[in-house]
Amino acid sequence: MADYAIFWDASKCTGCKGCQSACKCWNLLPSPLGKNVNEPTGSYQSPLDLNGNTRLLMTFQENEVSDDKKWGVEWSIGRRSCMHCVNPACATVCPSGALSVDEDTGFVRVQDDKCIGCQYCSGVCPFDVPRYYAGGSRINKCTACLDRVKNGGAKPVNGGTGTGNPRYSVPACVHTCSPAALDFGTREDMLAKAYARVQFLQNKPVNPCSTASVYGDVQLEGTHVIMVLKYAPETYGLPADPKVGILPTLTSWMKPLAAFVGVATIAGLGLSYITGLGYKRDTLHFDPDTEETIDMDTGEVVCVGDGHGHKIRAAADAASDAAVAAVATVADKAQEGEE
Amino acid sequence: MDLTRRSFVKSIGLAFGTSMAYGLATQSSTLAFADDLDWRLVNTEEFTNICCYCSGGCGTIVSVQDNELINLEGDSDHPINQGGLCAKGASMFQLRNVITEETREVIHNPNRKTHPLVRRPGASEWEQLSWDQAILEIARHVKETRDATFVEQDENGVTVNRTEAIASLGGSQQNCEEDYLILKTMRSLGVVALDNQARV
Amino acid sequence: MTGHWCDFKNADVIISCGSNNVENHPESARWCHTAVDNGATWIVVDPRFTRTAAVADIYCPMRSGTDITFWGGMINYIIEHDLWQHEYVLNYTNATYLINPDYNFDVTTGLFSGWDEEHKKYVTTTWGYQTEETVAPNTATGGAFAYTLGEGVPEFTPPSKLVPKKDATLSDPLCSFNVFKEHYSRYDLDTVCNVCGMDRETLELVYATYASSGAPEKSGAILYALGQTQHHYGSQNTRIMSLVQLLLGNVGVAGGGVNALRGEPNVQGATDMAMLVYDFPGYLKWPTVASHSTLREWLEHETYSDGYYVNKPKFFISALKEWFGDNATADNDYGYDWLPKIGSRDYTTISTFELIDEGIIKGYFAWGMNPMNSTPNAKFARQAMSKLDWLVSVDWVETATAAFWKAPDLDPAQIQTEVYHLPAALIYEKSGTIANSGRWLQWRYKALDPADEALPDYEICDRLWKQITSLYTDEGGACPEPILNVKWDYHIDGQIDPRAVAMALNGYKKQPGDDGDWDSRELLTTFANLQANGTTACAIWIYSGFYGNSEARYDPSQQNVGKRSLEDKGGLGLYQEWAYAWPVNRRVLYNRASADMEGKPWNPARKVVEWTGEKWDNNDVPDFVAASTAADGTSVPVPPNNKAFMMTWEQNARFVCSTMKDMPLPEHYEPLESPTDNILNGRQNSPCIMFADHPSVQKGDRSEFPIAATTYSVVEHWQTGAQTRGCPVLVEAMPDQFIEMSVELAEEKGIANGDKVRVWNNRGDVQLTAFVTRRLRPLQVNGEVCHLVGMIHHWDWTGDYSTGDTVNDLSPNVGDPNSYIPEYKAFLVNVEKI
Repeated sequence: MADYAIFWDASKCTGCKGCQSACKCWNLLPSPLGKNVNEPTGSYQSPLDLNGNTRLLMTFQENEVSDDKKWGVEWSIGRRSCMHCVNPACATVCPSGALSVDEDTGFVRVQDDKCIGCQYCSGVCPFDVPRYYAGGSRINKCTACLDRVKNGGAKPVNGGTGTGNPRYSVPACVHTCSPAALDFGTREDMLAKAYARVQFLQNKPVNPCSTASVYGDVQLEGTHVIMVLKYAPETYGLPADPKVGILPTLTSWMKPLAAFVGVATIAGLGLSYITGLGYKRDTLHFDPDTEETIDMDTGEVVCVGDGHGHKIRAAADAASDAAVAAVATVADKAQEGEE
Repeated sequence: MDLTRRSFVKSIGLAFGTSMAYGLATQSSTLAFADDLDWRLVNTEEFTNICCYCSGGCGTIVSVQDNELINLEGDSDHPINQGGLCAKGASMFQLRNVITEETREVIHNPNRKTHPLVRRPGASEWEQLSWDQAILEIARHVKETRDATFVEQDENGVTVNRTEAIASLGGSQQNCEEDYLILKTMRSLGVVALDNQARV
Repeated sequence: MTGHWCDFKNADVIISCGSNNVENHPESARWCHTAVDNGATWIVVDPRFTRTAAVADIYCPMRSGTDITFWGGMINYIIEHDLWQHEYVLNYTNATYLINPDYNFDVTTGLFSGWDEEHKKYVTTTWGYQTEETVAPNTATGGAFAYTLGEGVPEFTPPSKLVPKKDATLSDPLCSFNVFKEHYSRYDLDTVCNVCGMDRETLELVYATYASSGAPEKSGAILYALGQTQHHYGSQNTRIMSLVQLLLGNVGVAGGGVNALRGEPNVQGATDMAMLVYDFPGYLKWPTVASHSTLREWLEHETYSDGYYVNKPKFFISALKEWFGDNATADNDYGYDWLPKIGSRDYTTISTFELIDEGIIKGYFAWGMNPMNSTPNAKFARQAMSKLDWLVSVDWVETATAAFWKAPDLDPAQIQTEVYHLPAALIYEKSGTIANSGRWLQWRYKALDPADEALPDYEICDRLWKQITSLYTDEGGACPEPILNVKWDYHIDGQIDPRAVAMALNGYKKQPGDDGDWDSRELLTTFANLQANGTTACAIWIYSGFYGNSEARYDPSQQNVGKRSLEDKGGLGLYQEWAYAWPVNRRVLYNRASADMEGKPWNPARKVVEWTGEKWDNNDVPDFVAASTAADGTSVPVPPNNKAFMMTWEQNARFVCSTMKDMPLPEHYEPLESPTDNILNGRQNSPCIMFADHPSVQKGDRSEFPIAATTYSVVEHWQTGAQTRGCPVLVEAMPDQFIEMSVELAEEKGIANGDKVRVWNNRGDVQLTAFVTRRLRPLQVNGEVCHLVGMIHHWDWTGDYSTGDTVNDLSPNVGDPNSYIPEYKAFLVNVEKI
């Protein structure tokens, strides 16, 4: 499997929000059309967080520093979006195949037509990224513009049709980045670029940045977004030591038992919706031998495992009437939360 | 004028076969669940243009199908911006088309005013009128104002051929050719109060 | 811009002063970053810590409106530490020229010599040179003015050259350089810190870092924008940057320059095209009664005695020939008298509202411009607007100008103005040429038809022109000749067409009776072919050659303007084969100055031009006389000389100069409304400040309005916001108008981040959201604490998605005497929590 990554360099990013804008325009994501409905945020950051229609957001945080020669301030301008973990907990827990690891690139692919609105992914994401639209029923998160990556390149990545035009071969955000803070390439190349950049920043004769660091190499066994940070990760809204939520651990633990304790699996999932996550819809069946998830209505395989436990799908055949009813409530809540 | 077809850069994506009617209605929507890997720019023609915001002169690629805008992004062949566009430039698509919140449909931006309008004296609303009517009324205003105020010679007998009563402002939003036509129109009427955004 | 965007990468030091360039010219970030990656240092001098400061290396605060003090201090520092580039200064500038012995600057009064108190203006004679000798114009064969004797050339007397006295040893105190040095000796470090408000250590670091570009092989680039120009001495702010750059030898080199980052997509083109009261296309002068009452007067007043502008009559007559076509003849002075002549009144943007208020202007066209939002003292302006008989707004959206009668403080029932909104095509819905800030002319291809009934501006203008001429043809009227004699033949296949206009801008050989014949005219390839005898027609001489391929006249992609090759001879990012930079595809202006007196590049790695000993070997089109034509018609190389600035009659750049209205050397004055007194001289404001006496200005005093305010833009919005507030994604990304203030001021006023606050002065009263930030801090100015606030200005009452108050209700309608630019960047307000 080829491993690709989005590279982002905080020392070059000017917070122009070209990426935020291009993401919406390429992916045809709406912004509010009402008059004066966007709340002032008291910051350059707007909206304040990701939402059902916003997959990428520039963040702004001012840090008071003692060095008066630097005007007593550092301004951390950050990039908030899916980090595309190398081992994505969201794809691990996704029961419907809406989230999966793209074999060609390693990015977490999104097929929102398959989303059942269970919102497990939200519970496990170390970066609190997944958001939902359509009344909380469908996932909205960064797709790494796999439509561009697979179709746009002169040498199309496996599975794409290819247009012969390299200008479209990178995600929309990378393509539009005026200060060239964003880049796209193999994860190996992007990591090398990141470490070289950190070296450069730390050793500049004027204004050296001793706190410069790479983020996304070691964190969580790595991510497919490689960042060069100038200041502490927390000032960019990034956890210094990101942790996966409880569910995937549970799922992993359940995996060897799945063949004979399907009930336990279901119980585990039931627990999750009680804790505030939704679950509903089609009847799916997981075959532990093939690691395939099968739609019991159509007989189609909706998700295929990779043999390394990364694509375990929980069987959903116990989706009871009660669970469906509960989901409606949760979905309503989710919608309220969004609005 | 067949300028566009003649001069345009190249078209792409023809692998998908024959052209189909592709207006706004079929351009969306996520709710219709297009496959996430489907390529949007099928059967589109591309045209190069230049951004309409600051004076960087950043190149853009405008993708069009059946006379409707499909996509607009930076021109990666352009030496200045190399594909880059800022928040404003990257949203030039929305000058024409926006996406609805409920159904994620692509529609023409309702904020744009695409018909000639007039506000009559004392009125509190616009009225729509035809182009011919608008042009005739404006030409009539111009002539009446000019005829009433035109000065051929000043108090010292110098030929001045001017009217102070008409002002014309703007030019930084237009192309150079348009500026020349506006300049020529206004100066030939005798306009001296002619200025543009260079100071603001 | 003397250079262009990609050229920033060649700099060793970049200083962004008066420009938040990564925010308002985001693409510049790529090129500044490249310079830093190559080892450059990037300095930001700005009243607040901006997005640009966040990515640059050194940040230095400065009180808004004190740029001349900052740069004057740098000049003093450079001279004191002997960091200036001697060979450059002594040869390529007027450093050695002797200034009139009556020149003087009186520190106690703050006045230069020549002040006429009665007329409130300077007589600038004493700012000029002492004359060594007078040389008569050479009209002999081969002489610069031989052409004036040709048939068809209007009669006029070319000027004699007054050869200035010089002292190459610089021992005469009246040497331009010595006068200059003496003038800035008062601008010491402590004075600068007192006036501008930064600390001395930071200031010295900035000066030392930037002055390092004075080493011959080093380049320093100044990036500036409206932060320096929008003051009542804004022209002098730009001039003092030029002086710094000359001193350091940074003009004409790759990675140098005085780089105006212009604010609108085609403001460069609009300025080239003379969409300005006093201009004629190509930086010639529009006729005024005072200096140009006849064609002869125009030619005698405007033609230079030496340098390239000895050819000005060729440019002007060719433009008249294009304007009037066959109707322009030698006998009728090529139609000169039909052009309107400007009298003694001013008609620039600020003045138009005074003229409307007085009932003089009755009709108003706004072409993609929105003065109801963007003009200073906007409240006064919109009240004046109600007195118009009619108003036409040509735009994409309903602007505040089109909808001024809907303003919250106006009653439409009381307004008798008839208002038209004409829907314009978007930029990708039409074709044509646009000029960027680096003077690159690029072609925009129409991608699709305009939505609904919208039309390109060129078509709207054509319809209007045809209707007006038809009314005058049918009915007669006041003096119809200037209208009916105009040549208006810009149609191809019966349709108005920008390609025909492009050919007119480019120029062509004019044959009698060929008006309207675009199929066969021979297009010109350079303005060197222009004639003053009516045989050539060219609307704007500086564009000549941009659309000169007669073989493919209807195909812009086959013209220079349509070039798309990424070839980069010399590797400096000049991209000689991409589009076309006016003039003559020159990418770096004054490029002769990139090489020493022997013609060797100061820095061989950044060679722009080079004399090999036998000929010039160049990476750019030379901006000097590189070759002459011998008697047998062959081209002969001209060896290097000191004529590095051929667009001035001296062919040298100027330290002391007599061509500006307000000062021979930039001197510090305070903004009209200032939080402090001028400590550098005895006069608070420039004596030449414009419009300050108008009653609508209502100057505020610092006792009532103690807070210094400035205005600026954010990357998410643009100018009056009419376009960007119409894009939902941008409204979402920056939903509201804010005022930035320091933590200290917020505490003093009891304001928390996100609070709604009232900001007011004598002119206006607006409500904004407070951003309380550490990026703005109170400054120590002349021993007192000075609070500064900053506001963005992209909102008004129009638009479907986001509305707000009009911040320009607060800015004062006073301006600069050279450029008439308003003072948006420094005025006084007060602030309170609502």
